[in-house]
Amino acid sequence: MRSDNRPPLILTVGAIAGLLFLHLPILLIFLYAFTTDERTYQFPPPGLTTQWFAVAWNRADIWPPLYLSLKVAALSTVMALILGTLCAAAMARTRFFGRDQISLLIILPIALPGIITGMSLRSAFSIMDIPFSTWTILMGHATFCIVIVFNNAVARFRRLSGSIVEASMDLGANGFQTFRHVILPNLGSALLAGGMLAFALSFDEVIVTTFTAGQQSTLPIWMLNELVRPRQRPVTNVVAIVVFVTTFVPILIAYYLTRGGSETAGGGK
Amino acid sequence: MTAAVEFLNVSRHFGSVRAVDGVDLSIAEGTFFAMLGPSGSGKTTCLRLISGFEQPTGGMIRIFGQDCSDVPPNRRNVNTVFQDYALFPHMNVRDNVAYGLMVKGVDKRTRHDRAEELLALVKLEGYGDRKPAALSGGQRQRVALARALINEPRVLLLDEPLGALDLKLREAMQDELKALQQRLGITFVFVTHDQGEALSMADQVAVFSEGRIAQIGTPSEIYEKPRTRFVADFVGSSNVLSAEMAASFGAPARPVSLRPESVRIVDEGARIRGQVVALRYLGAGTRVVVAAPGGEISVFLPKGSPVPEQGREVGLAWDDLAMHVMEQG
Repeated sequence: MRSDNRPPLILTVGAIAGLLFLHLPILLIFLYAFTTDERTYQFPPPGLTTQWFAVAWNRADIWPPLYLSLKVAALSTVMALILGTLCAAAMARTRFFGRDQISLLIILPIALPGIITGMSLRSAFSIMDIPFSTWTILMGHATFCIVIVFNNAVARFRRLSGSIVEASMDLGANGFQTFRHVILPNLGSALLAGGMLAFALSFDEVIVTTFTAGQQSTLPIWMLNELVRPRQRPVTNVVAIVVFVTTFVPILIAYYLTRGGSETAGGGK
Repeated sequence: MTAAVEFLNVSRHFGSVRAVDGVDLSIAEGTFFAMLGPSGSGKTTCLRLISGFEQPTGGMIRIFGQDCSDVPPNRRNVNTVFQDYALFPHMNVRDNVAYGLMVKGVDKRTRHDRAEELLALVKLEGYGDRKPAALSGGQRQRVALARALINEPRVLLLDEPLGALDLKLREAMQDELKALQQRLGITFVFVTHDQGEALSMADQVAVFSEGRIAQIGTPSEIYEKPRTRFVADFVGSSNVLSAEMAASFGAPARPVSLRPESVRIVDEGARIRGQVVALRYLGAGTRVVVAAPGGEISVFLPKGSPVPEQGREVGLAWDDLAMHVMEQG
């Protein structure tokens, strides 16, 4: 044990350098949303303006991708909440042959490179003659959203004493009452956290979406297309700020929810 | 009088594992019934068959004369105190206790009043607002008890409820549980692997071994007249003498159980002689293991009697009446 709690200087410098490396580019993106120069990203910006926010607001081509992204993120989150929770409940409550293998298969999509998921889904859709639509994007996103919810729910189930469900039944509650009064309150914050993470992941997903979207574009894909065109470039940065906020806030909330949950949820045992 | 709980040739097999295998038993209403056995002997599975969390794979279970194979756990007038208490972590103590009334749709006022009455019964007045996490093990145990009693069950099932408590608290809770059972007059079915607990609390004891009942009887019958070698050994670690040894001591040529506290160490008139191979100090006395021809014999010497040194040769004696002839070895 060291007598003072200060870390060595080299660690401090290293940590600061690492943080700057990670976060300065993000700050630059924010900065260029306010630049007066619309064609190049020269440094330092020749001047600062807030006009691009108004321009972005009035650009008609931004709204359909934004709407599509929100819709896909919301729907895939709902789908993931239902399917992920059911999977987690099945895995947590019963032991059966092949349980570990199935558990691995559920988690696999998030470990698999997005490009593999995308390619396999695309070829599956074409073999089955399913035309590309919002639903195909949704299915692509659900593959990894389910994993997020599943992981959160499984961790919470593991901390809960298995017999509280039996205790509830024993005291006369039916299945619905047990779910409503015992399972949901104990699972709630884990599901909220999983749902928010899933929403954030889906909202900025690019790779799987490019393989499953067909003619439509979600907001991240719209941005990718926009970057190659040297017209009103700062608008892209304005949209980037919107994406940043819509994904960062849920992730932050999810972080606090699961952190607080670990102190209370398993306490009754 | 119809029995509170009746097992008619009940089996519960998990694949090739015979957790419960052809059990017959009848628990009279108002008794304190203990299911005693080592882990894996089927006693907890029997309890879960009564609560309805397990279904028999053979035979029939009757609760107050009624076949309950199709009755789910939430419709049985039977409640359980779980081994890990299974309190709801997100509810305070009052809501935990009132849960059984809440799911029945009893209004908040009434169920909270009733919960307070039960908390008073288990001596936890004033703890209603606490969360289970803020209670000690003994207090959680009482909450679990109060919660299981709120629906006024006719049979209360207790799954090793004292297992997690320290010795002092366990003894206090044994007395309290016994007093509570006598006061409420309802049937308690109590699962334990602790033979002392079963003998001191129960009116009737069923000793389980490998999914079957080795013996049912009152605590003194179980202790003094064990039917099998297993019961003799599991309850009170009795000596079991082989048929040949028994015959040489004038008993019928059958396996015989001999309680360690019935054996004396003597200089004159010994039935058998042997060498002291182990000494175990037990506080209330000392257990002496003597290697005699034909097998080891344990002797319990009460406090105050002279303890022989290890390695010394001693003579052992006991009364004829101390030898109990068993049905099987």
